[in-house]
Amino acid sequence: MEIIVKDLTFTYSKKTKSLAFRALSGVSLNVKEGEIFGIIGKTGSGKSTFVQHLNGLIKVQKDSGSIIIGDFDLTDKKCDYKLLRAKVGMMFQYPEHQLFAETVYDDVAFALKNFAPDLTEKEIESRVREAVTITGLNYDLIKEKSPFDLSGGQRRRVAIAGVLVAKPEILILDEPAAGLDPKGKREFLELLLRLKNDFVKTIIIVSHDMNLVAEYCTRAAVFMGGEILATGTPKEIFSDEMLIEKSGLDLPLTASLTEKFKVKGVAVDSDLTVDGFVESLCRALKGGKI
Amino acid sequence: MRDLSFGSYFPAISFVHKMDARAKILIAVAYMVAVFLVTAFHFLGFGACLLFVLIATIAAKVPFKLVLKSIKTIIFFVVFSAVLQLFFNKSGTVVFWVITDVGLLNAGFIIARIILIVLGASLLTLTTSPVELADGIEGILYPLKWIKFPVHEFALIMSIALRFIPTLIDETDRIIKAQKARGADFESGNIFKRAKALIPVLIPLLISSFRRADELADAMDSRCYAGSKNRTKYKKMHFTLRDLLGVILVAGLIVGIVFLNNFYLLSELATIAGAL
Ligand SMILES: Nc1ncnc2c1ncn2[C@@H]1O[C@H](COP(=O)(O)OP(=O)(O)O)[C@@H](O)[C@H]1O
Ligand SMILES: [Mg+2]
Repeated sequence: MEIIVKDLTFTYSKKTKSLAFRALSGVSLNVKEGEIFGIIGKTGSGKSTFVQHLNGLIKVQKDSGSIIIGDFDLTDKKCDYKLLRAKVGMMFQYPEHQLFAETVYDDVAFALKNFAPDLTEKEIESRVREAVTITGLNYDLIKEKSPFDLSGGQRRRVAIAGVLVAKPEILILDEPAAGLDPKGKREFLELLLRLKNDFVKTIIIVSHDMNLVAEYCTRAAVFMGGEILATGTPKEIFSDEMLIEKSGLDLPLTASLTEKFKVKGVAVDSDLTVDGFVESLCRALKGGKI
Repeated sequence: MRDLSFGSYFPAISFVHKMDARAKILIAVAYMVAVFLVTAFHFLGFGACLLFVLIATIAAKVPFKLVLKSIKTIIFFVVFSAVLQLFFNKSGTVVFWVITDVGLLNAGFIIARIILIVLGASLLTLTTSPVELADGIEGILYPLKWIKFPVHEFALIMSIALRFIPTLIDETDRIIKAQKARGADFESGNIFKRAKALIPVLIPLLISSFRRADELADAMDSRCYAGSKNRTKYKKMHFTLRDLLGVILVAGLIVGIVFLNNFYLLSELATIAGAL
């Protein structure tokens, strides 16, 4: 499913003039199937407001642009949001805070029972097993446990499974690695790649971690003050000095190294992934005087 | 969710904002008593109460719209009580269908009462920050210390509760969204189904409240909080002329209403006196 957003504008508290706050203005964006798309920008730039539009948690306001996702027209009054949300999964910051059921099994099955009430218990069980297993947990050991007896990392995995179980085609992650230690972060990224290969088709990820964006995203959009400043590949974005200055973004490690090498007279031209960077650095050094 | 409405503070510099919170609370309570005292000559009595709120609103520099907005939040309650009166009050003569004149009168009476009370209450919270409110209540309850009532602790509990209302609203909003994203449906089905649909919201909310309470307790401990002993206040409250004026006004309101209530009595007394 392709995502086509045109000229999207959104105002909080629109009815009360004195409190109205425009969080998005004239946002246009296309995300193709198969992408890992990054949404970056400072806190308060409208990233969460934007992604919450994509599964109808925030409805498109009247005369405020349009969103089309696959066959769903989100400006259409008859749009079936439940069906949409089954196709477009969303995971928030600290997803473990949404756990509520008595057992891990019940919590993970929640989305499935909502989206597909006709499934038999056996089908549900196999889907739950699949979702829990892909997050790296041992299903048989954990299914009967209370989510509240688990460790923080395990809880987050259960919460992720609770979103994945519906098999969304598009997965939206709003600052998913917040509050994880370095090891947790690494494991989370591995999980993300595993998902991308055989579970979901498109991933949209809101993140402050520029290394992650440079390493994994096919493209990214830079938000500022409710507008999109630029859309492009990590390379296009992080090599645009004006843009980086204006938006106040950090550089990924590979991009700052590229700059440092440039000062020393070594031109490294890479796609800013770690492997790509090392490769083209080696090439530059071997071809040079050293 | 974050919209300003019933129960939130409207920051401004005004006569009413500057008043002593203790005085404001007492005046608000007295005003509510006044509203409840109105039993005869409704138009005059309620009119006087409305005038009191109007004067206070102007003196508080709060937009009328904001004060009126508080009514919107309780409109369902108002309509419900009025409808009960309209359809189930059987006394008096029937005016139309099952509606009697007494029912009609009572419905109007109840609407006026609820609206006036909510107006007064919302004006208090609009002009008094939650912290001031808690301090004010602590000040008013201070005499209870003599009977070993933990006034300070009580006020602390209240101010913490008030402080966390916006946080809780945000949190509720977030959890509702997270469960909606997992296909939860809060808008359809009968009342039982909807109540059941709230469980996935209430449980995470409860758990996060416990977590927050733990964190807050740790934060207080680590700053050596030890209850009310030897604690001084950052902001001292002072009773000033402003407050006196307010008290006089509300006292006038109550006296006026009591006078109206006893007007028959008074006029009869007067005729008796005249006859003598
Ligand atoms: N429920 C809300 N009511 C009013 N304003 C909001 C609400 N949610 C967010 N905002 C405001 O909208 C702007 C964008 O917020 P958000 O989309 O959460 O930004 P980001 O995710 O990039 O940090 C912020 O200035 C924020 O204060
Ligand atoms: Mg955000």
